[in-house]
Amino acid sequence: MNLTQSLLAAAVGMPLLMLLLCASAKIRRRLPSWFAIAPLPALAAAVGASQSETLMLGHSRFALRFAIDTPGALLLGTAALLWLFAGIYAARFIREREGEGEGVAGFVVCWFMAMTGSVGVFLAADLIGFYLMLAVLSVGASGLVLQGEVPDARYAGGFYLGIALLAEAFVLAALVLLAQATPGGSLLIRDAAAALPGSPWRDATLLLLLVGLGMKAGLVPLHFWMPYAYRAAPVPAAAVMSGAVVKASVIALVRFLPFTLNDAWPHFGIPLAALGMFGAFYGVAIGITQSQPKVVLAYSSVSQMGFLMAVIGMGLAAGDPATVVAAAYYAAHHLLVKGTLFLAVGVVALTGAGSLRRVLAPTAVIALGLGGLPLTGGALAKYAAKDLLGGDLAGSLAVASSVATTLLMLHFVRCLGATAAADSRARAPAPLTVAWLAMVLASLIGPWVLYLHIPVGTLPEALAPAALWSALWPVLAGAALAMGWDRWRKKVPSVPVGDVGVILRELQRAAAAAGRGAQCTDAFVRGWSVSCLTLLLAALLFGGLLAVAA
Amino acid sequence: MTTLALTGQSTPGGLLLALAVLLPFAGMLAGLAPGGRHAQRVAWATIVLGIGIVLEIAARLLVSGDALRYALGGWAPPLGVVLRADGLSVCMMLVVAVVVGAVAIYANGDFGTPPGTREARAPLAFWLLLLAVWGALNLVFVSGDIFTLYVALELLTFAGVPLVSLDGRAETLQAALRYLLYALIGSMLYLLGVFLLYGAYGTLDIALLAGRIGPGPLAWTAVALMTAGMLAKTALFPLHLWLPPAHAGAPAAASALLSALVVKGSWFVVVRLWVDVFGGMVGGSVAQLLAGLGAMAILFGNVVALRQVRLKLLIAYSTVAQIGYLFLLFPLAAQHESTRAVTGGLLQAISHASAKAAMFLAAGLIYSTLGHDRLADLRGAARALPMTLTAFALAGATLIGLPPSGGFLAKWLLMSAALATGQWWWALVMLLGGLLTSVYVFMVVVRAMEPAAPGWSPKKQVPRYQQFAVLGLATCSFLLGLAVLLPVDVAQIGRTVIPQAGMP
Amino acid sequence: MNVSQLFGLTAAALVGLGVYGLIVNPQPLRKVLAFNLTGNGVFLACAVIAHRGAGAGMSGDPVPQALLITAIVVSFAASALAVGLMLRRFAETGTNSLAAADDAAPGEARTNAEAR
Repeated sequence: MNLTQSLLAAAVGMPLLMLLLCASAKIRRRLPSWFAIAPLPALAAAVGASQSETLMLGHSRFALRFAIDTPGALLLGTAALLWLFAGIYAARFIREREGEGEGVAGFVVCWFMAMTGSVGVFLAADLIGFYLMLAVLSVGASGLVLQGEVPDARYAGGFYLGIALLAEAFVLAALVLLAQATPGGSLLIRDAAAALPGSPWRDATLLLLLVGLGMKAGLVPLHFWMPYAYRAAPVPAAAVMSGAVVKASVIALVRFLPFTLNDAWPHFGIPLAALGMFGAFYGVAIGITQSQPKVVLAYSSVSQMGFLMAVIGMGLAAGDPATVVAAAYYAAHHLLVKGTLFLAVGVVALTGAGSLRRVLAPTAVIALGLGGLPLTGGALAKYAAKDLLGGDLAGSLAVASSVATTLLMLHFVRCLGATAAADSRARAPAPLTVAWLAMVLASLIGPWVLYLHIPVGTLPEALAPAALWSALWPVLAGAALAMGWDRWRKKVPSVPVGDVGVILRELQRAAAAAGRGAQCTDAFVRGWSVSCLTLLLAALLFGGLLAVAA
Repeated sequence: MTTLALTGQSTPGGLLLALAVLLPFAGMLAGLAPGGRHAQRVAWATIVLGIGIVLEIAARLLVSGDALRYALGGWAPPLGVVLRADGLSVCMMLVVAVVVGAVAIYANGDFGTPPGTREARAPLAFWLLLLAVWGALNLVFVSGDIFTLYVALELLTFAGVPLVSLDGRAETLQAALRYLLYALIGSMLYLLGVFLLYGAYGTLDIALLAGRIGPGPLAWTAVALMTAGMLAKTALFPLHLWLPPAHAGAPAAASALLSALVVKGSWFVVVRLWVDVFGGMVGGSVAQLLAGLGAMAILFGNVVALRQVRLKLLIAYSTVAQIGYLFLLFPLAAQHESTRAVTGGLLQAISHASAKAAMFLAAGLIYSTLGHDRLADLRGAARALPMTLTAFALAGATLIGLPPSGGFLAKWLLMSAALATGQWWWALVMLLGGLLTSVYVFMVVVRAMEPAAPGWSPKKQVPRYQQFAVLGLATCSFLLGLAVLLPVDVAQIGRTVIPQAGMP
Repeated sequence: MNVSQLFGLTAAALVGLGVYGLIVNPQPLRKVLAFNLTGNGVFLACAVIAHRGAGAGMSGDPVPQALLITAIVVSFAASALAVGLMLRRFAETGTNSLAAADDAAPGEARTNAEAR
């Protein structure tokens, strides 16, 4: 086994080993200190593994395969950083919970489960391995949501798991169709993606993939699980969820969809882009009416993921192979920033007015990076994506989206400031602050480092004055809007968290009625006479159908 | 795949097949004579020996790559009776042996004979009936002719009915009576079908019958009667009236046996008949009807399970739903893509058997610990029984179809077959069933994980080995998906090729 | 019509009567009797098959006769098991109906007399 294969094995194996070690209660008590160590092999794999080697577990008839490619390396590296620093935060967070006498076993188990799935999803190279890791990720993440201390944590966790399984049902159907279409019965993602344009079930597969993966990415109108889940989850869990977990659908889209020059898919790409752009603005529109910082961040995620879907959609419509790296880079930047912002929420809640400005200032800079503040990673990401969006409508919408994002982010900083601790001398514990600061540095420096390694434009181009100005003026416009919004906010009616999700209550009522109906039918069918008559009827039907069909 | 072998020769090691059937019954008689706590010891010895025999049969099957045959008395069909074990039979025998072993470990706690003699009735009956169920199931799996199947099915029913009323309460007696009467109707229909087939084609042997049978009113009537009879015994919706009270009223170990194993016996008969005997005759709309009933079972069973108040009834209705999955393979196996469909159906049966047994045993442990099994008051169960709740969650994951469980692999194979033959609606049903199952599994696990009321303590300390047995069984079902790593497709060993109508 | 046809029709009639009784009768003992009636019809059908399949110089095909004996024994054992369950249930509860517990069976007094 050479270096790459060992790195890949260690990357997935380390969190999995920790998960299995949770079986013993004694070891489990010590495991939180390993939260930060578990993602290190993944980081090493992202940096050091070569793209030409595959790790194969199994034999020729069937094997689980792991490999790394450019988008995988981008996302895996940034995700590993997020898991690392969020792990430091989580370890301290757990110690406090334990001190209050609450059970933490569930958190530890679900943390490692989510980590295994998160790392595995970026490294999986075959269809079944990918689905396996996706399932592990969903179950782990929903368990993390359940660990929250808000009253509706159970509802949010159940809802999250339900949506995840529903999305995975669509994805499974698509994967089965992909496996059918691949010649030779190969289960490699690479082969399946190559066979997709020529598959007889091409349209159905694409539709199923887009619906399933879009649901997991929070594409409007199936986005309302995000506010519920991120509000309920504890801060470190929300950080990794909004950062790393959501990017699983991005890596899947980027790997499965055909971005080849001969196959442009305008009839799939344009609707996806339109839906994504709508989501980008919708997220902002609802987000600015919310006041809890975590909920605002959730709607920001809806908006950003919508923008990302728009980028992917435009790339799909044009058949541009550059979409893969550009989308992965944008996602990687969002991963880092969102994780940092969530950790900041936790830090600010424990910080008093005395040191508040020291925390809010870097947070504001990072947040504005999402809107494309020049010289931040966000500007680089938007620069990388702007070619894909083209000049006319999509391009102008993208600029408008930057304005809107800046508005939302400034609103977020304001809401965040309002949640500071009451005692003005309070300071957050050192591990929390260290973790958050490390993430700030990673978000500022990381995108620049990555930009040098990806084949999307050059550094001098990105730093040209024209590029800088085109990134700056939307931020200024957004800031102006934000100042205006501050005055108008009180007059706008409040929108419930989860906006359209309130129809769920209606659906629940309908489901309960259907359940009662099914129970009555069952009671009726289980009467003795009815049952015997049904038996005879079944026999008659079988015989009759055979006679008629012949 | 091999062609039909029409000789009466026994393959080397064929005697093991007869032993696999005889040993449990011999153990039953040997346990009945001394009675009391000796019955349990004899049962233990029989189980160990029996597992060894089944493993040996499996080894021989893999080595020879062909079905094992044993002609009783050396007489060839159509007059002689042949026992035949192909890949399907051996896989089922293996899972039955594993589940019986796990249930026996568990039952040592519930049905160990206490020092007094007054309670010896239930333990004695349980151990003897355990062996009887095992022997009858082995006979179902290795029968080579349709009348031996009838005898085996009756043995299975007679062994299963008293298991329902093991604790002697009036409701369980009523449930047992209802089960018995309905199962007997099913057997009568099946028997009539057997007689008709003999009258028309002059043989009872499965291999010979497969060659001789052809479309015609007699054959159609036989198919209809035999299938309907078996559906009554398998409790496929809407013929499931006896299952929920029977499986929920029986003690935990007995419910595990009934739900996991006994219903698989009659299902296996349907598979044997439709795939091996009737072959090309039962394609098209009949298979769609059968799978349609299965789809209704999945939907209704899962929805009604969601509305249950007691844990054991929830698991029983979950069985009603999972039985529906077992019948989805028939329209998919009727065409040329039958390998994947049959393997998928087999894998579904195996993973359901182990998962459902683990679930019922876990429910039994929860009942012992909490003193009740009301779903609304499950709090504290996870803290008191962590291994058991993990087992329940793993078993639930298998039923939902999460990788790497056997349920996922079965779903993958069946969905591939469905989409390959253009019958996408079955794939939709399977996905919907998985979603509905996830709702109640989640509900149970989350409610059990809530912290107990302050000052609560378990009613009874359940021994660790019981929890280990349950966890082991659940882990088996959860890891069954790794069967895909086996170098050979076991289910296809020894399967005969039935000439399709119109094929050269 | 010849003997086989006559017996065949009788078998069908017996099965029909038995099935009717099984479906319609609420008391379990009558269901068992109806089941036996159905069984007899099925066995009669088997006997017809034995008669029709007789080889030259023999009165009947021996194979269905062997099946018949086995089936009669099995159905007898089944009836015994059912009656045993009914007796035990009557000893436990004093009633013998398959209806739900809160259903007041109108024929309960009659059932008690039959169960004895």
